[in-house]
Amino acid sequence: MSDQTLSFAGARASGMLRRLDPSMALWIVMIALLIFLVASPTVRLVVASFQEPETGRLTLANYHTAYVNWRHLAALGNSLELGVGVAILAGLFGVPIAWAISRTDMPLKGFVRVMVLGAFITPPYLGAIGWILLAGPNSGWLNRLWVAATGEAHGVFNVYSMPGLILVVAVTSFPYIFVFTNSALDLVSSEMEDAAQVLGAGKLRTAFRITLPMVFPAILGGLIISFLEAISLFGAPALIALPARFNVVATQLWQFFEYPVQVEVAAAYAIPLLVITVLMFWLQRRILGRKGYAAVTGKGGERRMIALGGWRWVMLGYALFVCALSVLLPLSVLLQAAFAKAWGRGFSLDNLTLGNFHYLLFEQTQAQSTIINTFVYAGATAFLAIALSLAIAYVVSRQLVPWSNVLAFLCVAPFVIPGIVLAIGFYAAYAPPPLALYGTGTILVLAFTTRFLPIAYTSSAASMRSINPEMEEAVRILGGGRLLAIRRVLAPLLKKSLAGAWILVFIPAARELSSAIFLVGPNSRVISVMLFDLSEEGNFEVLAALGTILLVVTLIIAAIGFRIIGRDFMLRRSV
Amino acid sequence: MTRIFAATRRDVLAGGSAALAVGLGATLAPRAARADMTPHEKELYEAARKEGELTWYTTHSDDVTAQALGRKFEQLYPGIKCNVVRTTAQVAFQRVAQELKAGAMQVDVFSSTDIGHYVYLKDKKLLEKYVPESSTKVLDIYKGYDPDGYYFVTSAGLIGMSCNTAKVKLADAPTNWTGLIDAKWKDQIALGHPAFSGYVGTWVVTLRKLYGWDFFEKLAKNNPRVGRSINDTVTLLNSGESTIAGTAANNSTVESLRKGNPLAMIYPTDGTVLILAPSGIMKGVRHPNAARLHMEFLMSVDASKIWVEHFNESMRAEVTPSGGFKSAKDVKTIRPTVEEISKGIPEVIKQWREVFGV
Repeated sequence: MSDQTLSFAGARASGMLRRLDPSMALWIVMIALLIFLVASPTVRLVVASFQEPETGRLTLANYHTAYVNWRHLAALGNSLELGVGVAILAGLFGVPIAWAISRTDMPLKGFVRVMVLGAFITPPYLGAIGWILLAGPNSGWLNRLWVAATGEAHGVFNVYSMPGLILVVAVTSFPYIFVFTNSALDLVSSEMEDAAQVLGAGKLRTAFRITLPMVFPAILGGLIISFLEAISLFGAPALIALPARFNVVATQLWQFFEYPVQVEVAAAYAIPLLVITVLMFWLQRRILGRKGYAAVTGKGGERRMIALGGWRWVMLGYALFVCALSVLLPLSVLLQAAFAKAWGRGFSLDNLTLGNFHYLLFEQTQAQSTIINTFVYAGATAFLAIALSLAIAYVVSRQLVPWSNVLAFLCVAPFVIPGIVLAIGFYAAYAPPPLALYGTGTILVLAFTTRFLPIAYTSSAASMRSINPEMEEAVRILGGGRLLAIRRVLAPLLKKSLAGAWILVFIPAARELSSAIFLVGPNSRVISVMLFDLSEEGNFEVLAALGTILLVVTLIIAAIGFRIIGRDFMLRRSV
Repeated sequence: MTRIFAATRRDVLAGGSAALAVGLGATLAPRAARADMTPHEKELYEAARKEGELTWYTTHSDDVTAQALGRKFEQLYPGIKCNVVRTTAQVAFQRVAQELKAGAMQVDVFSSTDIGHYVYLKDKKLLEKYVPESSTKVLDIYKGYDPDGYYFVTSAGLIGMSCNTAKVKLADAPTNWTGLIDAKWKDQIALGHPAFSGYVGTWVVTLRKLYGWDFFEKLAKNNPRVGRSINDTVTLLNSGESTIAGTAANNSTVESLRKGNPLAMIYPTDGTVLILAPSGIMKGVRHPNAARLHMEFLMSVDASKIWVEHFNESMRAEVTPSGGFKSAKDVKTIRPTVEEISKGIPEVIKQWREVFGV
């Protein structure tokens, strides 16, 4: 062996040693946590779907039970119809508004933006309750107005139907498409549009042939998210589809949890949701892979707003119409109900009361702790998700361990697991002994963390990329350890973007129902589940009051957060 | 500047936690057992206070009544927190089953309206045997439901029909169950769901026995609005969404009409369905003494007073309804046997789903 190879081996050994600094232990913990949170429940779910409940032997019987039944298949079909309907409708709502705000001189942009934020914060099940009050076939406000105005015997709107459900879900999920499209449009410069106009294309033609195709990947991403949200949603279908007499996958999955609990069948029945999701993302890559979208470089030349002339009022009218459907109408009837003795009696002074709030805060034995739980869990989730994703993003960007890309993949993988499926995986993996986490706050925080890890990771990875390693290296040259460098250099630099990520995780965690419903216990109840329980007996006044509390507290926390970081919910700097 | 803020914030926190401690102290301060407690009750209370709380899954009433009972228990036995979780029967049982499967019992006292749940739990040896002292003092009709002492009737209620009197004259409304299948009520009927509500499940079993499954196939042709809880029908009628409730619980309907809502209760001539709803303690619970104390409470005079205030049946001879509303002794009642219910409900849930789609 020559000297050269020896010294080479020596260098490698010392390199290994360098990597084994104390922070290494922390990375290993983080990685173990990631496997615990993401890989294990998913694997457990797939395995359970092939197991006999008592013996654990391999079987296909669960698939037989799950699919050889026309009602179960019909539910699957309904979910697909719901998902496609929601994606299309949410696209029709989100894309034009995003275009108008980003590219045109439409007035009242600030107001429209706030409304979209409102729609983002409103949980779908709360929107559903609002829409039941608006479009109940006989009692809904819109139908009553219709009857009063036309003198006809019956109203025209029926929320208890597939179109009703599609509308309710679409108005709460269009913000995803809006955010994706809007932020992509903000990066596109006007040059290509100018070129189109020079060649004689009109404004509309330019928008449809040039601008929108350039942000097609973003729109497609938003559509897929809307679709996935819609097929995995539990609350809104439970409120609307049940009285409308049809099932969707989520409500059917719930039936498998009725006595006798058939977790294995539920797992088998949940597999198509996973397959559909993976297929969606594969399809997205196929569609996008064939074309170049390099115009979205982020470097952007000049950006000018398109002058719409008189059409800008039409555009505003449309935006306000969407705002009315998504926020203004449902919110006003919810508030009316929250402060009413009986909502059906309408807007009058003698119908006003604070009794619903008093009941919740002082008479109900569970509401107080439920409200506290909700925000504590959401806060803890946000911290945990960010700590974990930041650590992983650091490991990945600094290439501290081999296979670091696998870690990145695990962080974004929960993105493709519907909430209700994730909950079943968590239930199967961690509810029973040895961990016996059923009914604890811990299992909720862990499930929420997993569910929203992709949001946290996307933010963390993006901000990590923006920081040059030189600064940490300086610390290390001066004798500081890696942890010191992180604490004193990285953390202060990342503070603002992490606060933004915190809010982005906090908001959906505070309203999460789908993954909470199977994991919650009497001492770990959260507002979403309590709303679901209360909704059984249709006491809309108390329901609306509890929903109001959820919205107000979320808004306050979000507003404080936005003030601290000086950005709005899409993390745009406020001007 | 930062320092000042930090100090202020710390002060606020300290002040806040002091206030919280005072508040907690007030509620947790041990108080002497009341003088009127029986020796057995006193003994239970002392032991239960060490446990500090219990969790009660109840499906016997609406949330308002359930919470009032929980608060009364806390008031009678200071230092024991009563976590009241009110759902429909099948949802409560679903959670119990999930807890059993996960090996993590959360519930202490389980009060379902589906008697079949107790037959099953007892059969699987999942109930704890405890014969409450107060169980010997309830009205005779409620005594000895389970001769072995694993579960006891702790509430009772009636299922009839109701109508929205602003939209339908009481004289025109159906007077017996078969009136519901008259085509003139198309699109106007509200029902609960047997796969959620134990009351509705028992109602379906009773009517299937009386008129055969054929009755429900005809009922489905009237396109009723199907909710979940039996109490849901009250909301649907009050809002004017439906005009006739095919499943109306006496207590929640009367409570609502007393508040001024345009409702009328109908006691069908072919019989109002009487529900006897039991409670029992799960085996291996975390708060066994608090659970026993709660069982004593559910059959006590104090609990019956609350039941009556909320228009339910009284368990005790000492408590009579304040008048003005009908109870089981005033109307013709019908009731299937325990065996018919426990065998029947799982069957009718399946049949219901075939006919009603959900």
